[in-house]
Amino acid sequence: MAGTVLENLSSRKLFALGGVLLVVQIVFFMIGGLIAPSPTSPIRYIASKCVDRGHHKSKWFVPWGPKDQVCEKVQDFDEATRKHIGANDIVFAAHIPLPNREMVRWFQFLLMIMELDVAFKVDNPVAENAVVTMEAGLAYRDDRLAEWTPVARSTEERKLVCNFSHSKTADNEGRYYDCDMVPLFELGSCFHKYYLINIRLPVREKQNINLNIGDIKDVNLIGIHQNGGFTKVWLSVKTTLTPTIIIILVWYWRRVTQLNRKPVLLEKTIFALGLSMAFINLPLELITIAVDVPWMLLLSDIRQGIFYCMLLSFWIIFTGEHLMDQSERNRLSVYWRQVGAITFGCLCMFIFDMCERGVQLTNPFYSIWVTETGKNLALAFIILAGVCASIYFFFLCFMVFKVFRNISGKRASLPTMSDVRRLHYEGLIYRFKFLMLFTLLCAATTVIFFIISQVNEGHWKWGEEHTVEINSAFLTGVYGMWNVYVFSVICLYAPSHKRKGLEGQQSSNIQLERETSEDGSNEEIELRLTNSQASGDAGELSVIYKIAGKEAQE
Amino acid sequence: MKLVCTFWVVLFLWLAVAPMERVHAVIGRWWGIASTVAVQEHANMVPGVPRKGSAIMLDPKKHPLNKKQRRLVRRNPGTLESIGTGAMLAIKECQHQFSNRRWNCPVDTNDHVNSVFGNILKRGCRETAFIYAVMSAAVAHEVGRNCAEGTIESCSCDYRSKGPAGEDWEWGGCSDNVEFGKEFAKQFVDAGEKTKDSVRYLVNMHNNEAGRVAVAENLRRECKCHGMSGSCTLKTCWMRLPNFRDVGDSLKEKFDGASKVAVPDIGNNRGSRAKVTGLVPKNSRHKYPTDNDLVYHERSPNFCRNNPRLGFEGTRGRECNVTSRGLDGCDLLCCGRGYATRQEVTKERCNCTFQWCCQVKCEECVRTKTIHTCL
Repeated sequence: MAGTVLENLSSRKLFALGGVLLVVQIVFFMIGGLIAPSPTSPIRYIASKCVDRGHHKSKWFVPWGPKDQVCEKVQDFDEATRKHIGANDIVFAAHIPLPNREMVRWFQFLLMIMELDVAFKVDNPVAENAVVTMEAGLAYRDDRLAEWTPVARSTEERKLVCNFSHSKTADNEGRYYDCDMVPLFELGSCFHKYYLINIRLPVREKQNINLNIGDIKDVNLIGIHQNGGFTKVWLSVKTTLTPTIIIILVWYWRRVTQLNRKPVLLEKTIFALGLSMAFINLPLELITIAVDVPWMLLLSDIRQGIFYCMLLSFWIIFTGEHLMDQSERNRLSVYWRQVGAITFGCLCMFIFDMCERGVQLTNPFYSIWVTETGKNLALAFIILAGVCASIYFFFLCFMVFKVFRNISGKRASLPTMSDVRRLHYEGLIYRFKFLMLFTLLCAATTVIFFIISQVNEGHWKWGEEHTVEINSAFLTGVYGMWNVYVFSVICLYAPSHKRKGLEGQQSSNIQLERETSEDGSNEEIELRLTNSQASGDAGELSVIYKIAGKEAQE
Repeated sequence: MKLVCTFWVVLFLWLAVAPMERVHAVIGRWWGIASTVAVQEHANMVPGVPRKGSAIMLDPKKHPLNKKQRRLVRRNPGTLESIGTGAMLAIKECQHQFSNRRWNCPVDTNDHVNSVFGNILKRGCRETAFIYAVMSAAVAHEVGRNCAEGTIESCSCDYRSKGPAGEDWEWGGCSDNVEFGKEFAKQFVDAGEKTKDSVRYLVNMHNNEAGRVAVAENLRRECKCHGMSGSCTLKTCWMRLPNFRDVGDSLKEKFDGASKVAVPDIGNNRGSRAKVTGLVPKNSRHKYPTDNDLVYHERSPNFCRNNPRLGFEGTRGRECNVTSRGLDGCDLLCCGRGYATRQEVTKERCNCTFQWCCQVKCEECVRTKTIHTCL
């Protein structure tokens, strides 16, 4: 790939393009920070304690609502003890959402976390490796008067990890343990208006089930969903980005096919990168408004995974193709180690995701982290992926180092080279350094904003009226930034056919590479020299490879 | 001092005369709700509270709430139960925190007229400050709790930033229920205070606020990461409601460090600062009380002997701890009157096996205990 748009662009135009993209980037941050609400909302629910004297396993217990639907409740378990109600008669019931509200399809997902309030009692402590066994049920309805339709029923085990920060004396009875939260369920779509959770904690003395779990006072649930406003802003951003990327991609591919040679590896890689970006941009989530698609969460994970995989591959191939004294190039097989590591790492994450979110499609209460083997398996996959990532970054750093060593080597011999070769190498060095800088900038911005969003409380007050949602700004900003990144890589690294005149260029809306005779810095004149001296795209390329090969032999 | 106090009481009573409301029932009368709504279910949980269940809500003369409070309760169905359970919670907490002191938070739920705590509320001492704070904290806590349970329908959903009007919940979710609890408690509890501009009024209002602040102070922030594959690119945080015991603890700490205050004299150069809170520390070298401090304006009585005016029976007959040199030790608790020692054979539960709720299987053990009681 010789003679890309980037080299043939005057610095003025390059700065103009950079300025425009910077403005676009700032707009992305502003959209997230000023228009969108925070990405997610947590809602606290305290489960009501319904009484089920007859052990009706199939009945649903509703904590509030019309009088004839509401279950018989007890305020606390002292009352239950007085009324001779046992642990097996208690059903914890929570209705989602709270009164006078309903869930909306824009909420996209519903994640439920459980926290147990366990009081300390000297003679009834929480055992060391206590496990809570619960019979959990989830149901939905779309009408306040309709019957509940079950989504899932399952018997689940959750580890009860509790600390008691005070001394374990009689004085401190009644204080609560500090118990870790446990995941309860995750729904990949929030399609219905009302949900109902019923949880039983059955006691089976013979099987030693639910015996040493302390004195449970309350079941707290925290429901997390994506804010409707955020979904709307997010999907609007995606909807506007999709055609932009697709148009530039079409333009790019036309450019590549117009050449009198087959596309080289780097060109194919850039195209694939653009495709994966376009895939991630497609606002497929809009389907969830009309159809119940619980696997959308999984799909968006997969889409993200494909993009990461593509981006990492692009970096390695780009660096590899700029190793100037390596004769073996332009074939994917050369990079099998690196690309293999990436693919394997992504595959590990995919399998892990399938194990968690995939299984949750059938049983939302499922969590891989609960059982010992599942936890080890999940950790194994994550560690494997981590190892792959480290191997990859080692390779990448090594290759970048090699390229820089080459560059400094070439620098020394540049003045002695013939014009064609010198300009070729200068072009290579320029292209490489530009992408390096650009990539580092994007990565650094991502990391900085990630840290800011982690450290801050979620939103900044700005004057009296305005609040800046840091988390939303981070999400839309970083998302927009990688779009800008891919966009500029596609249009700057597209093959330039400046010397070919106007043919075939009318269709493209971005004719950045066309230069008028008026603006001419020294650099441009030099660059133009290359173009006029080089015979043609195909010929030029082979010449370069020959030269590079020769160099390597020397 | 006594004269001043009497003056205030008289003024207080005079201002408080209102149709349908008994004269001296003004002070924290709503607390009487503890003896009506909650007692029916909870009486046997609180030691020393006789069981009494009367449908007081039906009788406006005996109604423990004033007009504004009734309106609030009517507008927010479900809050009455919260106030009832909140009052019980506060009483329990008060008795727990003060179990080792001479004044051990005695209550009398038969006393509808005077609220459950008796005449201590007519004073302005530290103990009064604690009662006001813990009661207001309990209402805020319980209302917040019941919002999360869904039993109060009117829990607000005020949205933090701007979205299309009317779609707040859909657009950006709701703020936490704890805020609603605090706001409701402010309106409800503060409505119980009538005589504005007296020291007592300012002190009580201050302590009410301190109680609510104590709830907010004890909220704990918790977060969950749920980004791609569980990473922290998406993180959601929320506030966890504290156990009321923690609120009680921090209020007790504030009780120990409460500051004595007065209304500044007119012409006093410290008055300008006091305009904000209306109260200045009695000792000019002390700092101004902040929102979360408890304040009082009268010295506490020593609570040693039976005090009919206070409705406190003194420490006679109270159990004390011989080995302790603290407030629960026999020396201090019995005010130097000495103590009697006796042996008592008691049956106790032992070797119990528990379930997480409701069922306890125990053996009965006989134990001989040495009990010391104040003379």
